[in-house]
Amino acid sequence: MQNNVIRIALTKGRLEKKATELFGKMGFDTSLLSDRGRQLIARIPGRNTEVVVAKPPDVLTFVEHGVCDIGIVGKDTIIECGGEYFEVLDLGFGKCRFSLAVKKGEEFYGGYGVKTVATKYPNVTRNFFGSKGMDVDIVKIEGSVELAPLLDLADGIVDLVETGSTLRENGLEEIEEIAQISARLIVNTVSMKLKKQNLDEIISRIEENL
Amino acid sequence: MKKHNLITPEGTRDLLFEECKARRDIETKLMDLFKGEGYSEVITPSLEFYDVFNSFPQESMYKLTDAKGRLMVIRPDSTIPIIRLAETRLKDEPRPLKLCYNQTIYNVNPKDAGRDDETAQCGVEYINDENSMSGSDIKVLKLAAEAIKATNFDFRFEIGNGFFFEVLIKENRIEANDAEKIRQLVEEKNYPALSVMNIPDIFIELPKLFGGGEVFDKADKLFKSDNLKKCLNMFKKVYNELREKVAGENITIDLGFTSKRDYYEGILFNGYAAGCGKPILEGGNYKINNTSGIGFAVNVSAVARLSRGNYAK
Repeated sequence: MQNNVIRIALTKGRLEKKATELFGKMGFDTSLLSDRGRQLIARIPGRNTEVVVAKPPDVLTFVEHGVCDIGIVGKDTIIECGGEYFEVLDLGFGKCRFSLAVKKGEEFYGGYGVKTVATKYPNVTRNFFGSKGMDVDIVKIEGSVELAPLLDLADGIVDLVETGSTLRENGLEEIEEIAQISARLIVNTVSMKLKKQNLDEIISRIEENL
Repeated sequence: MKKHNLITPEGTRDLLFEECKARRDIETKLMDLFKGEGYSEVITPSLEFYDVFNSFPQESMYKLTDAKGRLMVIRPDSTIPIIRLAETRLKDEPRPLKLCYNQTIYNVNPKDAGRDDETAQCGVEYINDENSMSGSDIKVLKLAAEAIKATNFDFRFEIGNGFFFEVLIKENRIEANDAEKIRQLVEEKNYPALSVMNIPDIFIELPKLFGGGEVFDKADKLFKSDNLKKCLNMFKKVYNELREKVAGENITIDLGFTSKRDYYEGILFNGYAAGCGKPILEGGNYKINNTSGIGFAVNVSAVARLSRGNYAK
């Protein structure tokens, strides 16, 4: 990567759309990004900026290693995966929350038995119950976590909730909110210093256009 | 049982020919530089008792037990063993002690993160009895700037001081638990999380105080107490001296540095090179047990890879 090029890692999917809109508002020509087809790296014409589209945990990896200077990624991924980078802006879009949900009407905290919790986010789950001093069995599920309590594999789930309609349709209800989530702007700790001028400019332009 | 007899463990590697030469060349350059400044080389064992490192997070260290069942670690850092040495076999030696080392350290990293578990380091420790900001600090800072210069890259040398954060915590009477939370957020420049906490605005401004000389003017407006202003002026002197005599425009400051290893206090500094996502040099003032000193280590593994153009650029 040339020293004067700024590389932005962008989370594929919903955040990608929102971020592309944001870049448009900032006056970036996003045509190559919107019509990138199968290209994974898109140049922003005339801006010395490249956008890399990647899965959420990969955004963290690229920024941590410094192969991308900036990342746009959900707070959910940051809490689950950790890592060392600066987290400089709350972009305000991609809002949702981590919640604990159970079958409607069921009591989660009662009794002496150890509870089983299904989740895609084992670290978030472990830390949440750990902070309460509560042992739980965690089962990692890759797809629809809501299935686990329905199949009686788990007593509850920890998952991202946006409107709660998927939960309701499957007879589950939120009983506790764990954390508020939104998209964040992260920056590699070395880039922040070596490319300060360029990055300061981009970060303040982003902030102005939120 | 599956055999792993054909590969090296994650985070380690064999170095062949040019890779080997690149690392040795840098080691030689740095060790010559350190010895030329009057530092004497020491070697400490790769194995230490766990008790020596009990201030380190358990999960970050490789551990094993000895024949008596005592817990041992494979050295995750070279400063602490050298302090152990200074407080035992070298306790009657006249101070300051000027020691240097060229050895590897071992850290457990998250699985498949692409990081080194084995890292070669060359570094120095300048060990003194008094713990005052003194002429010796500036000498070590100069040596660190020289060391990073000797690696021949487009480099940046950055200094900070954990003092600013600590004084602000004390002046605002913040409790230890909250202080640690704020420290972490300041360290990661987490502006959004700091701005929603119920804390004085200065803690949101502090991590933004980094860059060139202009930072001193900004800080001068934000720092109210005489104590902070006095320290800022002292710090500015150090900055100016390094700028004039060693690093030129390549020196920057970050007043938002905090002492993440609990043995650091006072001046902290990092060296950065384009193409490497982590600092290639880290150091600072420290107080461990009853020993004060200042030291730094160069990440020789990273520098060697950079010098071969083998690092992601």
